Amino acid sequence: MLSRAQEGTRPARLDRDRGLVEAARRDPTRFDALYRKYLAQVYSYAYYELRDHHAAEDASERVFMQALAGLPRFEERVDAFIASRSVTIEGGADPADISTFRVWLFRIAHNIVANERRRDRRRHATPLEEAAELSAPDDVAETAAAREAGSAAWQAVARLPEDRRRAVILRFVDEMSTAEIAAILGRSEGAVRVLLHRALRSVANDLRGQLS
Amino acid sequence: MLGGGMRDARRTERYLDELMAADERRASEFPVDVDIDPQIRVAARELRADLVRVHPSFRFEEALAARLAAGAMRLRAGLHIEVAETEAAAATPGTMAAYRSRSPAGEGPVTTAMPPATALTEPDAGSPAWALRRLPEMAARQSRPLIVGGVGVASAISIGAVYVAWRHSHPASGRMGRAARAAHNRATGSGRRRTGVVDGILEVVS
Repeated sequence: MLSRAQEGTRPARLDRDRGLVEAARRDPTRFDALYRKYLAQVYSYAYYELRDHHAAEDASERVFMQALAGLPRFEERVDAFIASRSVTIEGGADPADISTFRVWLFRIAHNIVANERRRDRRRHATPLEEAAELSAPDDVAETAAAREAGSAAWQAVARLPEDRRRAVILRFVDEMSTAEIAAILGRSEGAVRVLLHRALRSVANDLRGQLS
Repeated sequence: MLGGGMRDARRTERYLDELMAADERRASEFPVDVDIDPQIRVAARELRADLVRVHPSFRFEEALAARLAAGAMRLRAGLHIEVAETEAAAATPGTMAAYRSRSPAGEGPVTTAMPPATALTEPDAGSPAWALRRLPEMAARQSRPLIVGGVGVASAISIGAVYVAWRHSHPASGRMGRAARAAHNRATGSGRRRTGVVDGILEVVS
């Protein structure tokens, strides 16, 4: 019987997206299946981070274009540590649920979104509370976005420090495991658990403050 | 030995797993963990309810799919993709439609499809004619299950069928209409004119 550490050395065979990734590497036109599968997740991550759907679309486009261009160089084994952590440290994780492709894709997304936020900060800084005032009243899309942004929980998340906010979005919106979030953010799983716990405590305090 | 903070963090993680699992199986009750701080429980539920996954517009999705397909063709031909040049192409307007994925792993995420919000800005948005216009666009999305719901769409389909039947039983009286009918009758060798709404509907259905 294999020990957990030994199991961790053979993640590639068990990767959930292995079939799709191999097909796309053989024939790039098959990348469409991966794109359709992960578009909403990548877009959501970008949207919650950038808070503007045009910026989220732009970021999503760059993520998938980079992923397509980088697919020939994508090696599951290069990221073997990600999968091995998912198997060995997480313990209960089913290796068949692991997608090193998704982690890889979100690392691209993470970098692009972080760069965009940095650029955006340099350009201008618009507090979230002003978002509703900025949108034209007849712009349905912007109004919907502003209404979303107006939710108390979202505002509480927006006030979180960067790492906690990203962990919350990946956990709640993209429904990722602690191991996956750790791999994307470049943190240990323990650190991500603590990030999430503290984030929830901050949100709880924030919500309580808004109520009172 | 775990410290108190780490123990709490693990407990929170377990609660989140249970919360997601309950949502996954559409359980009506929230998981109960008496050991966890009630405020954290409430915050977790709030976040679970409010932080929904959002989807870009169909138009954006299809436009980007086309650009990716073009890029893939270049790759297949041994050419490079200019990633930077695609940035300008992201100007296709579109926006989000919120939905809750039922798959924790994010498999084929959409259980509900909605028309893009940009479509709602059209002058006759919401009318049966508008819904009819958008049907082909929604139906064209074959890669995912599509549920087109709502009274508006259902009534639009009915109105559309009745309109087609009515048009069939009230042929155009213009010169072109008469000429087309005459040509059709000559071609089919049948001078029989279907009349009545029921016949028209039956023909549309068949």
